[in-house]
Amino acid sequence: MRSQTAEIYEGYLSNRRGAQMWKFVALLAFLVFAVWSIDVLKIPIERVLGMFGPLWRMVSERLMPPDLAYVAQPKILRSIVETIGMSVLGSLVGILIVMPLAWFAAWNVSPARFILYPLARIIIVIARGVPTLMWAMLLVAIFGFGPLAGTLALMTATIGFAGKLLAEQVEAIDMNRVDAIRATGANEVLVFFYGVLPQVWASWVGIIIYNWDAQFRGSTILGFVGAGGLGLYLREQLSVLEYHTAMGVITVVIVLVILSETISHYLRHRLY
Amino acid sequence: MSTPAIVGNPLREPRIIFRRYAIIAIAAALVLALGKYTIVEETDWERMGSAAEIASTTLDFLPDLAFFPETFLPLLETLLIALWGTTLAVIMAIPVAYLAARNITPHPWITYPLGRGLIVLSRSTHEIIFALLFVSAVGLGPLPGIMALAVRSVGFMAKTTAEAIENASPGPIEAIRATGAWPVMVFLYGVVPQVFPIFVGNAIFQLDINIRRASILGLVGGGGIGYMFAEVMQNLRYDRAGTIVVGITTMVILGEFISNRIRNRII
Amino acid sequence: MALLEVVGLSKTYPTGEAALKSVDIAVDAEEIVAILGLSGSGKSTLLRCINRLVEPDGGSVVFDGTDITKLDKPALRKARRHMGMIFQEFNLIDRLTVLENVLSGALGVTRTWRGVFRAFKNADIQRALELCERVGITDQIRKRADQLSGGQRQRVGIARALMQQPRILLVDEPTSSLDPKIGREVMDLLQSVAKEAKVPMLVSVHDVILARNYSDRIVGLQNGMKIFDERTASVEAESLDRIYNIAS
Repeated sequence: MRSQTAEIYEGYLSNRRGAQMWKFVALLAFLVFAVWSIDVLKIPIERVLGMFGPLWRMVSERLMPPDLAYVAQPKILRSIVETIGMSVLGSLVGILIVMPLAWFAAWNVSPARFILYPLARIIIVIARGVPTLMWAMLLVAIFGFGPLAGTLALMTATIGFAGKLLAEQVEAIDMNRVDAIRATGANEVLVFFYGVLPQVWASWVGIIIYNWDAQFRGSTILGFVGAGGLGLYLREQLSVLEYHTAMGVITVVIVLVILSETISHYLRHRLY
Repeated sequence: MSTPAIVGNPLREPRIIFRRYAIIAIAAALVLALGKYTIVEETDWERMGSAAEIASTTLDFLPDLAFFPETFLPLLETLLIALWGTTLAVIMAIPVAYLAARNITPHPWITYPLGRGLIVLSRSTHEIIFALLFVSAVGLGPLPGIMALAVRSVGFMAKTTAEAIENASPGPIEAIRATGAWPVMVFLYGVVPQVFPIFVGNAIFQLDINIRRASILGLVGGGGIGYMFAEVMQNLRYDRAGTIVVGITTMVILGEFISNRIRNRII
Repeated sequence: MALLEVVGLSKTYPTGEAALKSVDIAVDAEEIVAILGLSGSGKSTLLRCINRLVEPDGGSVVFDGTDITKLDKPALRKARRHMGMIFQEFNLIDRLTVLENVLSGALGVTRTWRGVFRAFKNADIQRALELCERVGITDQIRKRADQLSGGQRQRVGIARALMQQPRILLVDEPTSSLDPKIGREVMDLLQSVAKEAKVPMLVSVHDVILARNYSDRIVGLQNGMKIFDERTASVEAESLDRIYNIAS
C-alpha cells in the first residue's frame, strides 16, 4: 500500500493502543470504586449469592398466595376510592396551580423575567427535589394524619413533575405567533392565552394525563406514612406480620397501577 | 346599514358553548364532591389546629445548620445506593430489552410476553414495596436498597430500550446480516449503535430519579438518609428534618445539573 | 456452468403483492449483469432473495453448485460471506467511523470477542485501509459515517462489500439516492473494481443509460417477470422501450 496509507495504519494502531489503555484505566477505576463502595456501605458481599434461596422461599411460602379475601372488605374498597380521589384531586389542583407557574418558568414568555422566572423555577425544583413520600411525612406533621396531607403531597409532587415538563413545552414554541398577539397591544395574560396556550395545549393535555398516572403510583403508598389511601393497610398488616394479607394489598396496588397506566396510555393515544 | 344576518355569538354555536360549560360544571361538581368525601370528611380538623398553629408548625422546619455535617455520610450512602442501583438496573435491562423487543425476541409467543410482563411488574410496584421485600430476605442495610432500586428501574430502562430497538432502522441491520455474520454480531453492529444514545440518555435520567428514590428507602430499612429522616421526625426534631430536606434537595439539584452537562457532551 | 443460477424464483408478500413470478437468471464468472426495471418491478426483491434477506416462496438459487434456498441458518451465514451486497440507501452504521464500517464487512469471519471489543486483527485493518484507498475515501476514514456525503457513503459501502472478498457482488440500485454526476462516478468505481477483482456483479438499475454503459448483459424485469435477457452490445431498442411502456 502507498506510504500515506501505511502512515495512517501506524497512526491508527498507536491510537488504538492509547484508547485501549484508557479503557483499561477506566475499568480499573470502576473496580476500585466498587470495592470502596462495598466497604463504605458495609455490604456483606459474601452473603449476596446465598440470599437467592431465602428470597425465593420467602416469596413462595410467606407471600404467596396473596390473601384476596382480605382485600374484598368494605374498608379496603373505601380506601381504594380514597386513594383514587387523592390522586385525582391532588393532580387536578396541582395542575391548576402549576399552569401559570410553568408560564412564569418559561424563559421565552415569562412576564417578569428577573423575578418570576427564578422564583417559579425554584419552586418547581424544590417541589421536584423532595420525594413525594417525604413531602407526605412533612405535611402529616403539619396537617395531621389523613388524606389531606396526602392530597397536598400529590399536589406538590405535581407542581414539581408537571411543572418542568409544561415549561419545556412552552420554551419550544414558535415565538412569531406570540409576537403577533403582542403586537396588538394585548396585556401579558391575553398574550399567554392567545399566543402561547393554543400552541402548547395539545402537549399539555398529554402531560396532564401522564402526570396523573405518575401521581397515582405514588398515592398508593402514601398511606404508609399516614397520609391516606391504601398504604395504611399495607403498613398495618406488615406490622402484625400478616404477610399474606399484605401481599393482597400489594396485589391490589399493582393491579390498580396497571389499570391507571392502561387508561392513561389509551387516553393519550385517543386524543392524538 | 342593514342588520347583520349573524345573531348571538359569531365565534361558536350556542349549543357548543352550552355543552362546554355544562361539562366544566359537572366536572367541577364531581371534583367538589370527591373533595368533600375524600378529604373534608376524613380530616380531623380540630386536631389540626388554627391557621396560626399550622404556620408555627411549618416554621419549625427551618433547618438546623449545625446538624448538616451529620447528614453527610447518610447522604453519601444514598448517592452510592442510587449509583449502584442504577448500574445494576442498566445491566439487567439489556437481556430484558432483548426479550421485549418484538423484532429480535427469540420466541415471540413466549419470550416477548415474558419480557413485557417483567417490565410491567417493575414499573407498577413502588420501590418501597420492593425494599420491604428485599429487607425481609437479606436484612437491613444498603444492599436491599440497591436491589430494590435496581428492580424498580429495570422496567423503564428495558421498556425504552426495547422501543428503541423496535424503531431501529432496518437498513444497517440488513447490511450486517448480508455479510453472513452471527446474530450476536448483527445485533451488536446493526442495532446497538442505533440504540446507544437513547440508552445512555435514559440511564442518566434514571440515575437522577433514583437519587430521589434512594432517599426514602431508609424508611423501611433500605439504607441511606431515610432512616435518619424517620428518626428525627419521630423525635419531633423538625428543624433537623428541614436540614435533611435541604441536603436532599441540594443533592438532587446538583445531580441534575451534572447529568445535564454529561448528556449534552455525549449526545 | 454459471456461477449463479436462479431458476423459477417467486415471491409473494403477505400483503398479496406478487413481487416475483418465476424468474430465471444466470450469471457467469466475471460478468456484469444489469437488472433493468421500473420501481416495483421486483429488482430489490430479486437481489434480496438471492442471499435470502427475503425468503423466496418458490424456485432455486444455485450459487457455485450449492442451492442457497435449501440451506439452514448456519450454512446460509457461511454462504452469505461470499456474497457482497451494496445498498441503495448505503446502510452504513452511522455512529461508527468509516474504517469501522469497512471492517464490519469482515464480521462474518471475525471471532466474536474481536467483534465485541472492536479489536480487529491487524491484517484486517491493513486490508481495510487498502480498500479505503482503492475507493478513494482515505481522507475520511476517521469520520463518522453520518458525516459523509451520499457519494462518499456509497464508496464506503463498496469497500465494505469488498472486505468480504466476495465471489459475487449483489448491488441494489447503487445510484438511485445520488445525483447523476456522483452516480456515474460510483458506477465507474463499481465497474473497475469488479473487473479488477474478477468478480461477477448483479446490478439493479432503473436508468437505461446506466444499464447500457456499465453492463455486459441486460435483464429486463417488469411486474415481477423477466421480459428479456440480452447481451448489452446487441440489445434492441425495442426491448428497452418495453420496460417503460405499460402496453406494448
